[in-house]
Amino acid sequence: MNFWVELLISVLLILGGVFVLVGSIGLIRLKDLYVRLHAPTKATTLGLGGILLGSMVYMSHQHGYLTIHELLITLFLVITAPVTAHILAKVAMHHEVPMMKRTRNAEHVSTARKQQAPGDTKDQD
Amino acid sequence: MSLFWIPVLLLIGVFVPLITERFGRTACAFFTMLAPALALTQIAGLLPEVLSGEVLTESLAWIPAVGLTLSMRLDGLGMMFSLLILGIGLLIILYARYYLSEKDAMGRFYAYLILFMTAMLSIVLSNNLLQLWMAWEVTSISSFLLISYWSSKTDSRKGARMALTVTGAGGLALLAGLLIIADIVGSYDLATVLASGDVIREHAMYPVALILVLLGAFTKSAQFPFHFWLPHAMAAPTPVSAYLHSATMVKAGIFLLARMYPVLSGTELWFLTVSLTGLATLLLGAYVALFKHDLKGLLAYSTISHLGLITLLLGMDTKLAAVAAVFHIMNHAIFKASLFMAAGIIDHESGSRDMRKLNGLWRYMPYTATLAMVAAASMAGVPLLNGFLSKEMFFAETLHQVALGSLSWMIPVLATLGGIFSVAYSLRFIHDVFFNGEPIDIPKTPHEPPRYMKIPIEILVTMCLLVGIFPSFMIGSLLQAASSTVLDGQLPEYSLSVWHGFNLPLLMSAIAMAGGLLVYAYRGRLYSFQAQFRETDAKLVFEGVIQAIVRQATAFHEWMANGSLQRYVALLLLLTLVMTASPLMELNSAAGHLPHQPVNGIEITAAILLCISALATVILHRQRMVALITLSVVGLIVSITFARFSAPDLALTQLAVEVVTVILLMLALFFLPQKTKNESSPRRVVRDLGIAAVCGGVIATINYAIITRPFDSISEFFLANSKTGGGGTNVVNVILVDFRGFDTLGEITVLGIAALGIFKLIARMRLAMPSADEKGRAWSEDRHPLILAMISQSLLPLALLVSVYIFLRGHNMPGGGFIAGLVTSVALIQQYIAHGVDWIKPRIKVDYQVLIASGVLIAALTGAGSWLFDKPFLTSWFDYFDIPWIGKIELASAILFDLGVYLTVVGATLLILANLGKLTTRHRPTVEE
Repeated sequence: MNFWVELLISVLLILGGVFVLVGSIGLIRLKDLYVRLHAPTKATTLGLGGILLGSMVYMSHQHGYLTIHELLITLFLVITAPVTAHILAKVAMHHEVPMMKRTRNAEHVSTARKQQAPGDTKDQD
Repeated sequence: MSLFWIPVLLLIGVFVPLITERFGRTACAFFTMLAPALALTQIAGLLPEVLSGEVLTESLAWIPAVGLTLSMRLDGLGMMFSLLILGIGLLIILYARYYLSEKDAMGRFYAYLILFMTAMLSIVLSNNLLQLWMAWEVTSISSFLLISYWSSKTDSRKGARMALTVTGAGGLALLAGLLIIADIVGSYDLATVLASGDVIREHAMYPVALILVLLGAFTKSAQFPFHFWLPHAMAAPTPVSAYLHSATMVKAGIFLLARMYPVLSGTELWFLTVSLTGLATLLLGAYVALFKHDLKGLLAYSTISHLGLITLLLGMDTKLAAVAAVFHIMNHAIFKASLFMAAGIIDHESGSRDMRKLNGLWRYMPYTATLAMVAAASMAGVPLLNGFLSKEMFFAETLHQVALGSLSWMIPVLATLGGIFSVAYSLRFIHDVFFNGEPIDIPKTPHEPPRYMKIPIEILVTMCLLVGIFPSFMIGSLLQAASSTVLDGQLPEYSLSVWHGFNLPLLMSAIAMAGGLLVYAYRGRLYSFQAQFRETDAKLVFEGVIQAIVRQATAFHEWMANGSLQRYVALLLLLTLVMTASPLMELNSAAGHLPHQPVNGIEITAAILLCISALATVILHRQRMVALITLSVVGLIVSITFARFSAPDLALTQLAVEVVTVILLMLALFFLPQKTKNESSPRRVVRDLGIAAVCGGVIATINYAIITRPFDSISEFFLANSKTGGGGTNVVNVILVDFRGFDTLGEITVLGIAALGIFKLIARMRLAMPSADEKGRAWSEDRHPLILAMISQSLLPLALLVSVYIFLRGHNMPGGGFIAGLVTSVALIQQYIAHGVDWIKPRIKVDYQVLIASGVLIAALTGAGSWLFDKPFLTSWFDYFDIPWIGKIELASAILFDLGVYLTVVGATLLILANLGKLTTRHRPTVEE
C-alpha cells in the first residue's frame, strides 16, 4: 500500500480514536447531565466520523473505486446525534435534573421549561 | 339419476320450508313435501334393480390421497330403510301441518325435520364408515333440535340434552369402534369391510371394536341400560316422537346392528351381549309400559320393549332370526308411527294424555278410536295384523336357541312373558282410553280431528292390515332383499303365510293373549305392588350426574387454569423439561465429535454483553422501562450474532422486529405501573429460579449437542435448487416465497387474523391513562419536538426508498417482502411518534385492514394464478428479459407473492401499533362512543 495512503488512513484513525477517547473520558468526568451530553454527542460523533473516513479511504483504495457506505453512516450519525441530544436535554429539563452551580445563564431555565424564547417575559410573574 | 342426488335433494329441501313459510301453513307443508316425495320416487324407481339383488354403489373421490371418498350404496337393507324414512316422513309432514298450532314456527320445525331426514337417509345410503358416522352424529344433533323444539319448556330442553348426551357419547364410542375396524381392514369402504368379516372376527382387537360399536348402537336404540333417555324425549312434539321412535333415530342403532351383522356377528361374544341386552330391554320396557299413565310414556316404553325384541332377534344364533328382525323393523315402524299419531290426535283434541283422565273416548271419536285400536292390536300381536307375523317368527326362533346352554329354555319362557305384558299394555291403551267409563276432568270436549290429519294413520293402518293378511304379496320381495343383505346372501327357507298350523309358537301367542288379558284384569294388584317402589326420575339423576361432572371439571379447570401467567409458564416449562430431559439422559455425552470453531475477542465480548443484559433484564424487571432497554440490548446482540454467522436476512428481520417490539412494549407499558412491588415470596423465587436454571441448562445442552454433531438437513436441497428451481440466489427468500410458499401464505393469513383480533381488542378498550409518571411529574406539554418531527419527515422518503430497495432485491440478495414491510412500518410509526395522530390522520388515508386483506388476497391470487397454466397452486415462474437502458433483468411471479407478504406485514404492524398508540391520545375510545 502506498505510504501516503497509509499515512492518511493512520492520521484519520488516530484522530478519530482520540476524539472517541475524549468523549468517553468526558462521559465519566463531566459533572452534570447537561454537560455530560456534550461528550458522546460531539466528541464521540466526531471521532466516529474520523474512523469511518479512514475506513472509507482504506476500502476505496482496496476496491479501486470510491465507496460511500461510510459516508452514509456518518451522515446518519450526524443527523441522529443532535436529535437524541436534544430530546435527552428536554427530558432532563422537564424532570428538573439538577445542574452544576456554575452553569451560566441559569436564569433562562424556567423560561426554557415553559417553552418560551429567552426575551419573552409576557408570561413571567 | 345419481344416488348422490337423493341426499343433496333433501339438503336443498331443508331450506324450502324456511322460504315458503310466508305463503301460509298449507302451502309450506306442501312445498316441504316436494323434496322427500321426489327423493322417494327416485328411490322407488331403483326398486326393481335392488329387488333383483343388485347393490348400487357410486363414489366420488374427495381426498383420494388419504383414502377419503364420498361413497353411496343402495342395497336391500338400505332400500327398506329409505322407503320407511321417506314414506313415513312424508306422512309426518302432512300430520304435523295439523298438529302444530298457529303459534309454532312451522318453517323451523320442517327444516329440522328434513335435516334429520337427510341425516338418517345418509346413514342408510352410506358406503363409507366415516361418512356413516358423520351422518350418525348429524342425526343426534338434528334430533336434539327436534326434541327441544318447544324450547321454552324445561322438560323439552332437559330431554333433548339427555338424548344428545347419551347418543352423542355413544357416537364417540362408535367412532372409536369404526376406526378400529377400518384399521383392521385397512379401508373405510363399507363394501371392503363387509367382505372381510372373517379377518375382523379373528383379529385380537375384535372384542374392543365390537363393544364400542355395540355401545354406539345400544345408546342410539335405547337399549338397557341406556334406555332412560327415550321416555324423556317424549317432551318433543308428537310428530317428532312418531318419526324418531318408529322409523328413524332409534332404528339407526338397529340399522347399524343389521349393517354390521355380516361382519361382527357369528361369535359367542356377539350372541351373548346382543341377545341378553335385547332380552333385558324387552322385558323391562314391556313391564314398565304397563305402569305409565301418560299415553306417550306407555308408547315410549313399548318402543323400548320392541327395540329390545329386534335386538334380541339379531343376537340369536339363527339366520331366520335375522329375517324376523328385519321383518319386525318394518312392522314396528308402521304400527308405532300410527299409534304415536293417534296419541297425538287424542292429546290434541282432548287436551290431555293422562290415561287416568282419558276414558270412554270411543263415543267422541269413534273413527280415530278404530284406527288406534287396530294399530294397538298389531302391537299386541293379534292375528291377521302385521305385528302377529313377526311376533310368531320371534316366538318360533326363541325355541331354537342354544346360546345359554342348558338354560336356553328360559328364552322362550321370558319371551312369552314379554308377550304377556305387551298384550297387557296394548289392552290398557285400548280399554283405558276408549272405554272404561267417562272422561274425567279433561280441558276440552274431545272430537274427531280434521280430515287430513287422519290420512297418515289411515294409510299406515291399512298397511298393517294388508301386510298382516297378504304378507308375501305386500312385502315378500323387499323383505327377501333386505334380509339377504343382512345375511350376506345366504337366505334361509322361510314362509310368510298367516297360518302355519297348530304349533308351539301359536301356543305361545295364545298364552300371551290369555296372560295379557289376565294381567290387565288384575292390574290393580300389580299397581299396588309397584307402588311400593320409590320411583326415580331419570331426569333428576341424569342432571345430577351431569352437574357433578361439570362441578368436577370446573374445579379441575380452576385449579389448572387460574389465570396466572406465571403458573402457565411454569407448567409449560416443567412439561418441556420432563419431555426433553429423559432423551438427553440417554445421551452419553453432550459434546459431539465436530471440532469447535475458533472464537475471537469480539464474539466473547458480545456473549458477555448478552449475558449481562439478559441478567440485568431479570434483575431490573420491576423498573419496566429500564428492563425494556436492557432487553433491547439482548435483541440487538442477537441480531449482530445473526449477521456475524452469515444470516443477513435474519439479522435484518431481527433488527426491524426489535424496533417494532420496543415501540409496542413502550406503548403497552405506558398503561401499567412504572414500578411494581416485589410480590413473590422467597420460596417462590427459589422455585422459579430453579425451574429457569434447569430449563436453560437443558436447552443449552441440546444446542451444544446438536451443533457439535454432523447434521443432515434439507438445506442442501434448497441450496442446490434455489437458483435453478426458484430463480433466486437468496435461498431464504426463495424458501419463503417458493419452496414453502404455502406455509408463508398460511402465516400471513394468521398474521392478518391476529392483527384484526388485536385491533378488535384495542378498538373499544378504555384504559385509565396515567396523567403523570411514577414520581408524580406531569407529562411534558411539548409532545412533538420540532427537531424530531423535521428529521423524521425528511428521512421518510429515504426510508421508503430503502424498503423498496430491500423488497426488490429480496429474491437474490438479503431482503424480501417481510423485511421491507417491517422497514416501511418502522418508518411510518416514526412519523406517528414524531408528529402525532392528528398530523398523520389527514395525510395517511390508507385503511390498514384493507391493506391486510389486499395483501393476503394478492398472495392467494398469485398462487391461484398458476392454475391458469395448469400448474399446481403456487407454482412460481421466472424468466430473464432485456429491457433497453436498464439491461437484463429477471422477473419472477414470486415478487407478486412477496408484495402480498409486504402489504400484510405493513398492514398488520401498523394496525396494531397505530391503534395502540391512539389509546394515548385524544383519539382513544371514550364512554360516549
